[in-house]
Formats: sequence, C-alpha cells, structure tokens
Amino acid sequence: MRSLWFLGAAALCCFAPPLRADDRKPEARTHHVPYRLTKAQHIMVRAKINGKGPYNFIIDTGAPALFVSTEVCRKLGVKPDAKGWGTFDRFDIEGGVSLPKVRGRVEDPFQLKGMNALGLAGADLHGIIGYTVLAKFRMEIDFTRDKMAWTPLNFQPPAPVELGGKGPDLDALGGLFEMAGKLLGKPPMPEVIVRGFLGLDVAEDDKGVVVKGVLGGSPAAAAGLKAGDRITEYRGRTVRQAEDLLKLAAAEKTRPGDEVKLTIERGAREKEIIIKAGEGF
Amino acid sequence: MKRCVPLLAAVFAAAWMAPARADEWKAKPVVVPFELLKTRHMAVQVRINGKGPYRLIFDTGAPVSLISNKVAKQTGLLKGAPPQSFLEKLLGGGGRPAKVEKLEVGTAKAADVPVIVMDHPTVALLASKLGPIEGIVGCSFFARHRMTIDYQAKQLTFTPNGYQPPDVMKGMMEAVQGLLNKKEPPAQVFVPAAQWGLRVAKAEGDDEAGVAIKEVMPGGAAAAAGLKAGDRLLTLDDRWTDSVLDCYVAVSAIKPGTAVKVTVQRGGKEMAFTVRPKSGL
Repeated sequence: MRSLWFLGAAALCCFAPPLRADDRKPEARTHHVPYRLTKAQHIMVRAKINGKGPYNFIIDTGAPALFVSTEVCRKLGVKPDAKGWGTFDRFDIEGGVSLPKVRGRVEDPFQLKGMNALGLAGADLHGIIGYTVLAKFRMEIDFTRDKMAWTPLNFQPPAPVELGGKGPDLDALGGLFEMAGKLLGKPPMPEVIVRGFLGLDVAEDDKGVVVKGVLGGSPAAAAGLKAGDRITEYRGRTVRQAEDLLKLAAAEKTRPGDEVKLTIERGAREKEIIIKAGEGF
Repeated sequence: MKRCVPLLAAVFAAAWMAPARADEWKAKPVVVPFELLKTRHMAVQVRINGKGPYRLIFDTGAPVSLISNKVAKQTGLLKGAPPQSFLEKLLGGGGRPAKVEKLEVGTAKAADVPVIVMDHPTVALLASKLGPIEGIVGCSFFARHRMTIDYQAKQLTFTPNGYQPPDVMKGMMEAVQGLLNKKEPPAQVFVPAAQWGLRVAKAEGDDEAGVAIKEVMPGGAAAAAGLKAGDRLLTLDDRWTDSVLDCYVAVSAIKPGTAVKVTVQRGGKEMAFTVRPKSGL
C-alpha cells in the first residue's frame, strides 16, 4: 500500500485528549442516512459536493480519509494540492448531514476502478467516505432498516498517522480489472420500469378488497371505477387483500400506458373494467 | 484498502458456501471496545472456534472476513479442505474459503461465518509496524447485527438483528457470469408501496435540485397534505428527489398510513409538509 493511505503525518499534533462520551452536545440531531447495499455488499450512500451531484460513495472504516475520484474533482473544479488533497467547500450526505470545508484525497483507489470497470457495484462509484468523516458521528448500521442513524459527536477525531515505508503495490489490480472490463465490455444496465398509476385507493373487509376512493381525473375515474366497487381480479388473477393488488401490479410489470383489466363486483353484478395506466404514484 | 476484498478472490473464487443458519444468539446488545490504531483502523479482539484472542481489523468496507493462514492453521479452519488446483490458486488470489463455526468479536458472537483464509499484503504491512494483526472482520459478521460505531467512546455495540447476508462471492460470480454470457439483466420494477396522488417530472437539461410537481390529484394524500402543482419537490422521507426515479425509490419503501416528511420549494421558500399516503395504486 502506498504510504498515501497512512496520511496525515503533519496532523499528528491533533492528538487532543479524547473527550468523554458524556461530553456530547445534548441537542445533537440524529440524521437518518439512506443507503443501499451494492452487489458486493458495500454500504453505498449519496453525497453532493458543493451542491453538485449526487455522487455515490462507499462507507468504509478501512479507509483513512475521504476519497473523491479525479473525474468528479475535475468536473467540480477542485484542484488537488501538491500532496494530492483537495478541499470541498460543502459536503452533503443524503439524509441531512452537511459538512463545511471537508478535506479529502483527490484520487482513484484501485478498488473503485476495479468495481467500476466490471460494474460490480451495480452503480458507478465516485469515492469512499472513510475515517476522517465517519469518526465525527456515532453511527448505527442495521441492514434490516433502510437508513442508518448518524448522530454528530462533539469530538475532533485524531488524524491518521503515516506509517512510512512502501507497501505492496495493489494499484496494479485496478489496471487489471480495467483491462478485464475492456475485454468484457460494461455490463448492460437493467431496464428500469416504474409501475403505472391507476388512481384508486382501497380498504379491506372480511369479504375482500373494496374501492374506497377514485382520484379525480385519474385513469380509474376515466374507466368508470367507483367507490364501493369490489375488486376480485387483477388481469385475471385473484385479489383477496389490498397487498395482492400491489404485488400483482408489480409482478405483471404494469407500466404507464398498459391496459389493466380489473374484475369487479358492483352490487350483485360482476363487471370488467379496463383501465389504461398512467404516470404517477 | 484493507477495506478491501481481496478483489481477485472475491470475484473469481468459486461459490462454495451454504447459506448461514439463522442466528441462534439471543438478541441482547453487547459492547465491544476497540483499539484505534495509529492508522485509525479499528482493531478488535477476536476468538475463532474458541481459540485466541487474535487482533483483527474491523472494517465496514470489507464484504468478506479474512483470516491469516497462521491463525487458520491454529484454529483448524482448513481441516479437510481439498488442496487447491493451480487455477484455483491463481483465480482466488491466494484466498481459500472456509467457515468459522463460532466467531466471537469481544463478547459479540456469530455462528457459521464464512471467511476467506489469506494473508492480505496490506494487513501484513500494518502488522509489521503495529504488531500482530491476523485479518479483517467484515460484513459477513457485522451484517447479522444492528451495530453502532463510536470513535469517541472507542466502542462498537452489536445486537443480533436476524439479517442473513447473501453470499457475496456468489453475487460477484453471477455478475461476472452475466458479463461473460452477455445476459440481459432482469428489468428493475419500481413499485410505490402506497398511493400519494402525485405526478412529477424533470425536464431535460434541468440540473437544479428536486423535481417539478406536475399534478396533485384531487382527493389524494398529497392534496390533503397541502402540496400543489408547481411546487418543486426537494426531499421525500429525508431522501433527495432529484430525478423522477429518485421519487419512485423513495416511495417504494413507504407503507400506507406512515406519516412522511416532504420538503418542497414554493415561491423561493422551502416548506415542509407531512403526507400520509393511502393504500392503493
């Protein structure tokens, strides 16, 4: 590993005595930071730099600092100093974390090059958020929830110390993957479908699913659906509870523009209604 | 970089392991102190199948856990493993999959944790400067817990959460297989989990934050909350809504009846609303 990873010899003097846990700002607000797990099980968050983006970052306690790709820095006009550091006036993480004047490496770590070349993350990665940023928060991470909880600490984290010496040159790996990526080609991105909109809301009773309301001007209204109608089938498949409707619409990949046949009961009569799905949610 | 998967191993090692069993440990939070190394990596004391403790790096950026060959030998991890072929050695980057029946990080425990036995060059470098380090504890351990990281208190806490991490290796293998086969990935369907009564749009070339609300359907949840056509939707449930797809990602996680904070820009002012979406589509 290049010594760059053990940055911050100059910042050695930041060894402030650690504050105690009970010194926390009482009013510190907890931020709920949405994240996504990549195919490689990395925790990915979105961040905006100087209001631009969002860019994708990996949360990595194994990285000593913030890393932002050279391409993103070029776009932002952030120039690295002689030692490869850049200053980002504003660094916002989705969920409400906002940090002024953040220092970070302007660099393309080999792991990101590798994952991007082969599309292994399922998204383009633009950087890594490491210790110097993460240590400012008490972080709660739970993969059964869709957001992390970050609570600011009243704490100046001691800077990483450079170990010196030359480590293994792992950069070659990044090149290897880029080469493999060129040979194999970028993976095709999956087709993205947003589910079509009908404009009906439902309730459940012991007999099944009943239409509670039909939104004004919606596709369901145009097709003549009425409050009180009972929905028994979605495109010929049985509907017993409200959840079935959502599941069937997802499974059938109902898109805007598709025609959806609903079987309904109105009073004693069974009826078929065809709704042309629209856009919306 | 210890952050890292031995990428080669991760990508190319054969898929091998059976899914881990349900976590059998009782759901009780345990506190695990960590040592903050000079490089600002976290080091924890780990017992492997009752042996140890050994010092390992704790790394949220590591999808797999790594154990050194020395410790693997001492704890019998590779007992009964068939010898690797030349090709396996080459593609596996020197890593060999194994399973730890009982992995204890401080007093936090997990059963049947998949690991890779390898001497990671970066770990070796750290150990040469900082004393013995025998590997990396990564996602295959911590994903099974609700975890907190507090650099100020130098403490981790773990509460079993029932989450079973997917097999990273298998996922990576599938990704590479997909590249080799040029297989079209399955379409991704974004399914709103509740009905909002909104239609949004983003014009080409519009780089500003947020999306335009085109339609607020009468009788819908968004209308009831006070949203209006012409508002600029900035966040939904603390998530940025900078594209139409962002909105669908946000609403796919929200169940009917949940009170959700929405921020919009109206007439140059930022305003917050609470929307309770309905059961419907």
